[in-house]
Amino acid sequence: MKKTTLIEAITQTLFEEMERDDRVFLIGQDIGLYGGVFKATKGLLDRFGPERVIDSPISEVYIAGGSVGAAMVGLRPIPEIQFADFITPSMDQIIQQAAKLRYRTGGQWTCPMTIRVCCGGDVGGGLYHSQINEQWFFSQPGLQVVMPATPYDAKGLLKSAIRGEDPVIYFEHKRLYRWVKEELPEDDFTVPIGKAAVRKEGDDITIVSYGFMYHRSIEAAQALEKEGVSAEVIDMRTISPWDRETIYESVKKTSKVVLVQESSKTGGVMGEVSASITEEMFDYLDAPVSRVCGLDVPAIPFAPPMEHFFLPNAEKIARVVKKVMEY
Amino acid sequence: MPATKIAAKPSLKQIGLSKETLLGLYTNLLKTRMLDERFRKLFRQGRFAGTYFSAVGQEATTVGPTYGLRDEDIIAPSHREIGAAVTKGIPLVHIVAQIYARINSPDKGKTHPCHYGWREKGFISPSSTLAGQTVTGTGCAMGFQIQKKDNVVIAFFGEGATARGGWHEAVNYAGIHKLPIIYVCQNNLWAESVPAHRQAGIKDFSDRAKAYGFPGITIDGNDVVLVHKTAAKAIERARNGEGPTLIECKTYRWYGHSEIDPADYRREEEIIEWKKGDPIARAENLLLDLGIHTSKKREAMVEQINQEIDEAVAACEKEKYAEPEEAYNDVYSENFPVRRDDY
Repeated sequence: MKKTTLIEAITQTLFEEMERDDRVFLIGQDIGLYGGVFKATKGLLDRFGPERVIDSPISEVYIAGGSVGAAMVGLRPIPEIQFADFITPSMDQIIQQAAKLRYRTGGQWTCPMTIRVCCGGDVGGGLYHSQINEQWFFSQPGLQVVMPATPYDAKGLLKSAIRGEDPVIYFEHKRLYRWVKEELPEDDFTVPIGKAAVRKEGDDITIVSYGFMYHRSIEAAQALEKEGVSAEVIDMRTISPWDRETIYESVKKTSKVVLVQESSKTGGVMGEVSASITEEMFDYLDAPVSRVCGLDVPAIPFAPPMEHFFLPNAEKIARVVKKVMEY
Repeated sequence: MPATKIAAKPSLKQIGLSKETLLGLYTNLLKTRMLDERFRKLFRQGRFAGTYFSAVGQEATTVGPTYGLRDEDIIAPSHREIGAAVTKGIPLVHIVAQIYARINSPDKGKTHPCHYGWREKGFISPSSTLAGQTVTGTGCAMGFQIQKKDNVVIAFFGEGATARGGWHEAVNYAGIHKLPIIYVCQNNLWAESVPAHRQAGIKDFSDRAKAYGFPGITIDGNDVVLVHKTAAKAIERARNGEGPTLIECKTYRWYGHSEIDPADYRREEEIIEWKKGDPIARAENLLLDLGIHTSKKREAMVEQINQEIDEAVAACEKEKYAEPEEAYNDVYSENFPVRRDDY
C-alpha cells in the first residue's frame, strides 16, 4: 500500500472535507493558483473553484477576522497563515474575536473554524520562517491548539477540527511535511482533540513532547533503550486543552519526567505541564521535572551551526534523561 | 458643520418617504434618546456597574441605516450603537439586562455595558477593540456572498477606528470582492479626546473609499431622512451584488466618551452649536411641518416609552446575577469542559 506524507494527508483531508460539507472553504495567501507555498492546497482551486478556494491579499488581520465572520453566518472556514511568523497581525482577531466570541455572547454565536498555520524550524528558515509561537495560543482559553506529528494524526486531527464547534489553531510543522510517511486507512477516521498518544511504552522515565520534537524524543528513547533505559514516549498531539490524564498515568508508572519543546523555554507550554505535574503529582515524583527546550533568544537564528545549537535534538534529550535517571 | 434649519414647508412627496417610515424613524429616535438619557441617570445613581457610553446626539446615524433591515441582515456594531440595537428590534428588556449584567441578558452578564447583542436579530455583541467588528462584519458579508444569499451587513464605527490597520484590510477586501456591506462611519469629530484633524490628513473620511474602489459619501448625519435614504440606496446596491458603500455621517456626541469622561477637552461653544442641530428635534419639526405629528401625540408617545422603560428597568433590577460558576461556561463546546480548581 502507498505511503502518505504528512502534507499529502493534509491535502487529502481538505479534499475530503470540502467534498463532504459545502460549508467548508479555504482562504489564504497563494493557496489557489499557486497551490500553497508548500503545495498543501494543490489542486483544490481546480476542483472547488475560486469561491471556495480564495486567494487573499496579504492581509493576515482579514484572513483570520473575515473567517470569524464567515463562521458566524454558518460557514466552516479554513484560513491559512502561510508562516507562523506572520500570524502576529492576526492576533487581535484570534484572541479578541475567535477565542472570546462564544464567551462574550453567552454562547449565542460560535466560531467553528480551523486556522492552518505552517510552522517550525530545522529547515534553514531563519528568524522569520521558523517560528511556532504555540505558547501564545496555548495561554488563551477559548482556543484549541493542535500539532500533529504523524500523517495519521494530521488527517484525523484536521477532520476533528473542521467538524468541531470551536476555533482551532492547527500547526503544521514544515520539517515534517515530506519527512514522515505512513500507510493510512481508506475509510474515514478522526483523531479526537484533547487526547495524547503513548507512542512507546516504558518503565523508567516519561518523555513528553509534540510535533517535530516527538520525532527527536523517540530517537532519543530508541538510543537509550540500547543503554538499558526504558523510556515511555508521549506525543501530546493536542496542546490545548491538553491531556493531563494520559501524562499523569505515565508519571505514576515511571516517577520521572522529561518534557521536550522546540520553542523557547521561558513561558512555554512545557512550563505549564511541569507546574501541573509538580502541583498534582508530587507524591509520585522521584526526580525534578526537567525540560529540554529551544533557547531563550528572540527566534531561531539562520546560520546552520546556530540553528542546530538552538534546537533540541536526540543527543540533548538523552543527556537530560540520563541526568534525571541519576538523580 | 451643524445642520441648518429646514426652510420651506416640505411635502411627503418631496421627502420621498412614506408617512409610516417617517413615523417609524422618529419613534426609534425618540425611544433611543429616552433610553440613553435614562441609562445615564441610572449610572449616576449607581444602579449598575462599570461605565456607560452615551450616544446622545448621534442617534440618526444608527437609527437611519438600521430601519427597514431584515432579521437576517447583520449589524456589526461598536459601543455607541444603542440606536441600532433598538431599531433592529432587540427587546428593551434584553438591552437593559445587558447594561445591568443580569442573568436574563443574552450574554448572561459576561460582557460590559453597551456591548449589546442578540443573534435572533443578527446583532453581534461586539468586542471593545475598535474596528474589530468591521473585520468580522466584512467576514459575515463574505459568508453571505459564498452562500449566495442577498443579506447585507452594516458595520458601524467612529472616524477614529478608520486609522486602524484591520479596518483597511477589511475594507480593501470588500472592495475586491464587491461584498454586500455598508460601512457607516459616525464622525463625531472626537476619538475620545483626539480631534479629527489629529487622526487623519483628510477632511472627509468618506475619501478613504476612493483607495478601495467603491463609492464613499459624506452626509449630514443628524438628518435622519437623509441618512436613511442614503443608506437605503447603499443597501439596495449591496443586495444587488454591486458592492460596498462607505457613508460618513457627520455628527456629534453631546457627552463624554463614557460617563466617567468630563470631556473638558472640547470648547463649550462647539457643544452648544451642535446641540442646535439635535437630530431628534429636527425629525420632530419635520413631522410637525408635514402635519403627520402633533405635540399631543408626542406626549402620548413619551408616556408610553417611559412606561416601557420603567417596566424593563424594574424587571431587570429584580433579576439575579448568574451564579459565579457561570464564569466557567461558554468557553468551548460541550465536550470540552474547562479546568476547575478548588481553592
